[in-house]
Amino acid sequence: MIELQLHGALLLIVWGMVVALDLVSVPQGLLSRPLVAGTVAGWIAGDLEAGLRMGVLFECFALDVLPIGAVRYPDYGPATVVAAALAAHAPWEFGLGVSALLGLVLSVIGGWSLQFVRRWNARAIQRRAAALAAGGSSAIRRLQYGGLLRDALRGAVLTVVGLAAAWLIARVMPTARQTAVGLSLVAVGGALAAAISGAVRSAGRGARLRWLIGGAAVGVLLAVLT
Amino acid sequence: MTGGWRALLRLLAVQGTWNYERMLGVGMGYAAEPLLEDLKTVDPVRHSEAIVRSTEFFNCNPNLAGLALGATTRAEYEAVPGDQIARLRTALCSPLGALGDELFWTGAVPALVGAALAAVVLGAGWWAIVGLLIVYNLFRLATAIWSLRTGFDAGMKVGAAISASWVPRAVARVGPVAGFTVGVAIPLVAGWFLRGFGWPGGLGALALAAVGVMVTRWFGPGLNTVRFTLLAMLLLLLFRRVGL
Repeated sequence: MIELQLHGALLLIVWGMVVALDLVSVPQGLLSRPLVAGTVAGWIAGDLEAGLRMGVLFECFALDVLPIGAVRYPDYGPATVVAAALAAHAPWEFGLGVSALLGLVLSVIGGWSLQFVRRWNARAIQRRAAALAAGGSSAIRRLQYGGLLRDALRGAVLTVVGLAAAWLIARVMPTARQTAVGLSLVAVGGALAAAISGAVRSAGRGARLRWLIGGAAVGVLLAVLT
Repeated sequence: MTGGWRALLRLLAVQGTWNYERMLGVGMGYAAEPLLEDLKTVDPVRHSEAIVRSTEFFNCNPNLAGLALGATTRAEYEAVPGDQIARLRTALCSPLGALGDELFWTGAVPALVGAALAAVVLGAGWWAIVGLLIVYNLFRLATAIWSLRTGFDAGMKVGAAISASWVPRAVARVGPVAGFTVGVAIPLVAGWFLRGFGWPGGLGALALAAVGVMVTRWFGPGLNTVRFTLLAMLLLLLFRRVGL
């Protein structure tokens, strides 16, 4: 599955770092959305189609997330980057499930790592509390750059760990074809469950629900016609 | 407004030091720094107090944080008493959070993502992703510029400026659009994936999706869709291992 040269792996690590930063810290420009993260990762890994497939799959999971207030959620960015790299150059019906399994585990770890960085930030602020109370501009800048650095490090570590796991999966644990297809079907079923759950929860009971149902009817029609 | 563009750039990283104690506080202080520079020469004591205030607890949607930043900066230059500025910041947290979350996280983002998903499935490929990034970032940057200017122009009257602005109307309109595009995207995505597996596989995946929706509704948030999917995958691997 994963056929990466060193420069490809390095580019993926940099991209994983960028998407991890984009989720919360900077610039929040939707680079961390799985659809974007996966497509670019697929392109870097030399298989744009695999990146698009993984991006669409993880985007369905991401539709179940509302990043409101201090809510805790999985980090799908680096997870999708790694999953797209693992799925590259394999028939998608076989590669999708195994890659999704690794990506989902990584997204959960990514969510925990966000909590870790947030507590790390709080400790850094406590250490500089006196300078902040004195109105020190340099203390603010140091805290801000430190926070960005910690988040970048988080993304890089997640991507490196994920790519190492992907490399091991691709070489050490060959999965039987039937099992691989079964995993792919479970991944698609789970992704659809996530997308539907997220859409229905966001819709509530008002006008948005009616528009959701109308959209679903149009979607079914288009799916049948195309 | 001196330092406006630098403040705008810094607002893009307003969540850079996000934590459970001050939340966006330090990021707001970082963004406020260029705006408060002129105050340093006019009134160094006030400048120092303003910097301290700007880093205290604050939380809202990051895309509308400019409204609070602009308003409090204006208030600092107008020598409004510090406790009033602190109260303004506190009062803005909830409305800016609620409006921004509805406008972006449950509105514009799912609306655009739903449209991009549908476009990818219908054959637009990576152009759909380019379009998603361009449209979203233009909207988001325009909102950030508007927020900072409106906040600075309105000062302590920022609440009235928000109520009279386009934001509440946009919030009411973007929700149904998001519902529609996500509604279109889900069946298209299902068809795109399941076509490759034939009828039995496709029906199995749809049945699993239905079970997933119900189970996560009953047992959530403890059992969310990610945990449900991982559990189903582990069960599949276990059954295959014992030969079922």
